[in-house]
Amino acid sequence: MNEKDKEKNKKKKPGGIIGFLRDFTYGMATHGMARHALKTRSSMEHLFILITMGDMLGIPILPPYYSLRLLPHVVPQITTWKRRMLREKDFVDSMY
Amino acid sequence: MGLADIFEKYPNRQYIMFGGKGGLGKTTFSAATAYYLAKKGKRVLVFSVDPQASLSDIFERDIFGKGNVEILPNLYACEVDADKRIRDYQEEIRQKIISMYGMKKIPEEIESYIRASSAEPAMEESAIFDAVVDIVVQGDFDYYIYDLVPLGHALYYLSMASIYDAWLEKITALREKMREYDKAIATMRREEESEEDQIYNELMYIKERIGASSKIMTDREKTAFFFVLTPEEMIIADTEKAGKLFAKYNVPLAGYVVNRVLDRDLLNQNIPQYLKNRIETQSEALAMIEQKFGASVLAKVPEFDSEIKGLETIRELAEVMFEEKLS
Repeated sequence: MNEKDKEKNKKKKPGGIIGFLRDFTYGMATHGMARHALKTRSSMEHLFILITMGDMLGIPILPPYYSLRLLPHVVPQITTWKRRMLREKDFVDSMY
Repeated sequence: MGLADIFEKYPNRQYIMFGGKGGLGKTTFSAATAYYLAKKGKRVLVFSVDPQASLSDIFERDIFGKGNVEILPNLYACEVDADKRIRDYQEEIRQKIISMYGMKKIPEEIESYIRASSAEPAMEESAIFDAVVDIVVQGDFDYYIYDLVPLGHALYYLSMASIYDAWLEKITALREKMREYDKAIATMRREEESEEDQIYNELMYIKERIGASSKIMTDREKTAFFFVLTPEEMIIADTEKAGKLFAKYNVPLAGYVVNRVLDRDLLNQNIPQYLKNRIETQSEALAMIEQKFGASVLAKVPEFDSEIKGLETIRELAEVMFEEKLS
């Protein structure tokens, strides 16, 4: 781990009583909100992949020349996205 | 007004296109115009993206996929190999994935997606127009003469570009919203903001490329689009229809060039009946052209007694088109 990462980690998790209090209030007040936001964010991610890479599921949406440019950036999400899209009875439900 | 006057009057129009049905003489006119401008001391690139390109034939040099080849001083020709471009592009995407994630091999589902993409509709058109943007943005030439693939392709691409544009608007908005969520989450969890959104940057890049490629065809200042037609009723009807479609997509029409006009003086000679009939029907068609397109007809090019091939005949054609003796 280099110096910069150490610095980052320090900022992220202050120790001691202040850190404990901070985590405690976060858990009480905002954790639920953050969780909800994360869930929405991930739905959007999947919606985004659907409208750019839809033809992987047989839904041609966009001519592929430019969507290929986006492909490298979504490679890690493809598997979870496919699983999610195909799990739902109606994949449109899963967008919302 | 003749063709030469148009070039003199609008020196800013550096993207020149000849459009029309297949086999009417787009490539020969492109080559002759390039020849004329080069002789006038301009640096000219005439290029084609047609897989059945005929620039190689007309210049009698194999230039396919060889980049910008010098034909004469100031005159360069280029035939883009669209298939190769697609293959190279796919390879570039593969390499990017491998280097981004340190993979040894592309996962099978990703690989099959990349492979399948080359068979999809519009892949070729997009690749072609992207290649055109590459050629034009380099800006090494005074004139770019674009030997168009048949009309359908160009229109298809222009309509596609407007759909692309609307689509990009939407997903860019979605991406921006996602970014807001990222920020909110980071604030809530007291984390530092995540790094720049690469996808957003890619979207901006794509938008710019599509904008640039449709602008090449629709820029009123810089583009001149010439229709090639022959004196035949059906061709005139088609040209009129295509003209309206092009106007709808804001392609600036610079004028019409009529090709393969038979000399009426031949009627005074002892010629076969069928040739007489051809000349008469051409006269009717020419009257129709006059009535429909009138002053926009910039040149009438006679039927040559041999195929236009090689620099010597290209020069002869250029002299007729531009009404000027060339060395």
